[in-house]
Amino acid sequence: MIEVVNLYKKYGVNEALRGISFRVQPGEIYGLLGPNGAGKSTTIGILCGLVRPDAGQASLNGIDIARQPVEARRVLGVVPQDVALYSEFSARDNLAFFGRLYGLRGAALTGAIDRVLARVNLADRAKEPVEGFSGGMLRRLNIAAGVLHNPSVVLMDEPTVGLDPQTRASILDLVRAIAAGGAAIVYTTHYLDEAERLCDRLGIIDHGVILAEGTLQELREAAGAREIIALRGIFRADAVTLEIEKHTEWELIKATDSELLLTVQHAEQQLAALLALAATLGTVREVAIRQPSLENLFIKLTGRELRE
Amino acid sequence: MRATFIVAAHQLRRVVRNPGLILLLLAIPLTLAVMEYGAFGRSAAEGKLPPVKVLFLDEDDTVVSGFLPQVFSGGPAKDFFELAQVPDKQEAARLFTRNQAAALIVVPRGFQDALLANRPAELVFYRNPIQSIGPDIVASMLQMTTLIGNGLYAKALEPIRQVKALLDAGRDPTSAEVAAISQGFFEAGRRLQGLDALTNLRIGVQRPGDTQARTGFGSDPAQFFAYVFPGLVVFALMFIAQALAIRLLRDRLKGLQRRIVMTPVSPLAVVLGGVTYLVVGLLVLLVFLGVIGGLVFRIPLRDPLSLLAIGLGFALFAAGLHLLSISLSKSDRSAGFVGSVVVLVLSLLGGTFVPAEQYPPFLQRVAAIVPNGAAQQGFIDVLVHKMPLVGLGPGLGVVWAWGIVTMALAVFVERRRLRA
Ligand SMILES: Nc1ncnc2c1ncn2[C@@H]1O[C@H](COP(=O)(O)OP(=O)(O)O)[C@@H](O)[C@H]1O
Ligand SMILES: [Mg+2]
Repeated sequence: MIEVVNLYKKYGVNEALRGISFRVQPGEIYGLLGPNGAGKSTTIGILCGLVRPDAGQASLNGIDIARQPVEARRVLGVVPQDVALYSEFSARDNLAFFGRLYGLRGAALTGAIDRVLARVNLADRAKEPVEGFSGGMLRRLNIAAGVLHNPSVVLMDEPTVGLDPQTRASILDLVRAIAAGGAAIVYTTHYLDEAERLCDRLGIIDHGVILAEGTLQELREAAGAREIIALRGIFRADAVTLEIEKHTEWELIKATDSELLLTVQHAEQQLAALLALAATLGTVREVAIRQPSLENLFIKLTGRELRE
Repeated sequence: MRATFIVAAHQLRRVVRNPGLILLLLAIPLTLAVMEYGAFGRSAAEGKLPPVKVLFLDEDDTVVSGFLPQVFSGGPAKDFFELAQVPDKQEAARLFTRNQAAALIVVPRGFQDALLANRPAELVFYRNPIQSIGPDIVASMLQMTTLIGNGLYAKALEPIRQVKALLDAGRDPTSAEVAAISQGFFEAGRRLQGLDALTNLRIGVQRPGDTQARTGFGSDPAQFFAYVFPGLVVFALMFIAQALAIRLLRDRLKGLQRRIVMTPVSPLAVVLGGVTYLVVGLLVLLVFLGVIGGLVFRIPLRDPLSLLAIGLGFALFAAGLHLLSISLSKSDRSAGFVGSVVVLVLSLLGGTFVPAEQYPPFLQRVAAIVPNGAAQQGFIDVLVHKMPLVGLGPGLGVVWAWGIVTMALAVFVERRRLRA
């Protein structure tokens, strides 16, 4: 079980985390969904004891990570964001090294390596130096090195970045299998579809704060039935803000000199009036309507798109 | 401390599998010893070794590139290398296949510009695949020159600045300016040929505190090497320690160290794993060099226990020095630079190139208290002056004091960096 209470972390004046709390049960996949710089890796860093929080607590299976880091890390498996493997060594030798550090040896070590190699589909390439591996194979081995000791808590930091859809799908299957074995998993990503497909519960994180949390169902409901209209062009942000606020049926999310974002109900009926108004206050170059979705919730919460 | 052992064994295994630069660095003391022998022990040598033939292709055709062949044709090197300019790579390839050259050095177009603009400038080095030892010798000579040259780069900065001013002004230099710049390069070149100073080596050796002159190595080759080899070994060990430590730094930059620290091991155990790897690695290489010294140069390896006592203390220092350097560096380039400068300064102070016994009294005292100078003198005292372990007291104390203090500091800093 993972328990995180009110984590704060500052880098100089940059507040990377501003009060993060969540809890993950055994067998559950908790997704931390947020854009680059949101604070996902910092949270993971605190959970594995590499980053010291300015305030707040984190515990793994009830063991406080700040007070007893070595004990806490015994139950922990981490898959770092960047592939970290010894390129001149084979897959097997890499796993053997990390396995030993996790206290495995002898037959237990060999057995664990065989099992995890089969699981990540690398058994037939186990003896080759990993410098010849493809990106997908490296990612799978990177995961294998983090979970070969059967940890009850697993932290995965964007393990599918830069992979093709097929490899991504196989990695998601792998993560589900690990959760099915009873591990509590924190999975960070900035891919919405991945979060939707994989996670039992989600926390939407931006600028160091979890803006919304819940199951997919709960979050979809929170997003509501409203659609989002995005106008791009040239505007006078202050004047536009004043005008739009006069219309109670429109809810402004964001107004800049180049972009307006607002939520409405029945967008197609509202569009004409909105365009007319915008035209008096600037030039519209592009209009987009988004149907209700998790992405809308994200835009509504943060005023920006996930992949900016 | 199981984790310490696992980490150390892992790193050592990687070096064995993939020695890389370390082999080249091992060649430094061997090559230099042979070169010095060629230059100074010649009276004792029965016929010289045939010179190694080096081809030189100047694509850059500039003032700086024209200066480069001096590396192989000046100072003590001139007896050891035979230099030939080639017009193009085809000609070089032809000489290679006829086994008439060991290596080709190409100065690529833009070399001088890069140097003047303070960008990395690169020489391209091709080895003749038919030959085995010749190219290695050339490579280590180049390596040495680059190391020393980088350290002395600042010395050549003045003439380089003058050239740059001329180029910027876009006019042809006057004959007076050409003379001034050539003079500047000549001066820098003389410094580059650090081994030149050895030409002044005296044979009778005066040791501080001794009233009568001791017999030096004279014309006995074994004595010569027993006298010269320790300094070169100490010098090489400092660079090997750097190469070993930079591997740790690269691991850190690739996130591998982070990954190790995420496992249930204490940061101290991880740091000590690195320390063990460095110290054991250095000791093994030291023993290897010692055995080579015994077998190839016929140095009588007396009193192994004393030699090991000095070696261990010095390995602690060399490992600690570079561990500290990588701990404080953010890139392998900066660690490489800082480490090399420290090593070169220590080598000059400690008398690697010019035996400290040749120094004026004040510098002799300095040489006796820098760790490499003390270690070098310790080895010479055992091998040449046949001193017993107890007689080594002060020198051994200096080496171990440096070793312990430097290593303790390095462990402290590195551990602090690893702790969250
Ligand atoms: N070691 C560090 N030093 C300074 N700032 C950092 C450091 N690590 C992260 N940050 C900053 O903290 C914020 C959160 O970063 P991070 O947790 O890596 O985000 P994510 O993983 O969600 O992309 C960013 O603004 C980032 O620049
Ligand atoms: Mg990240």
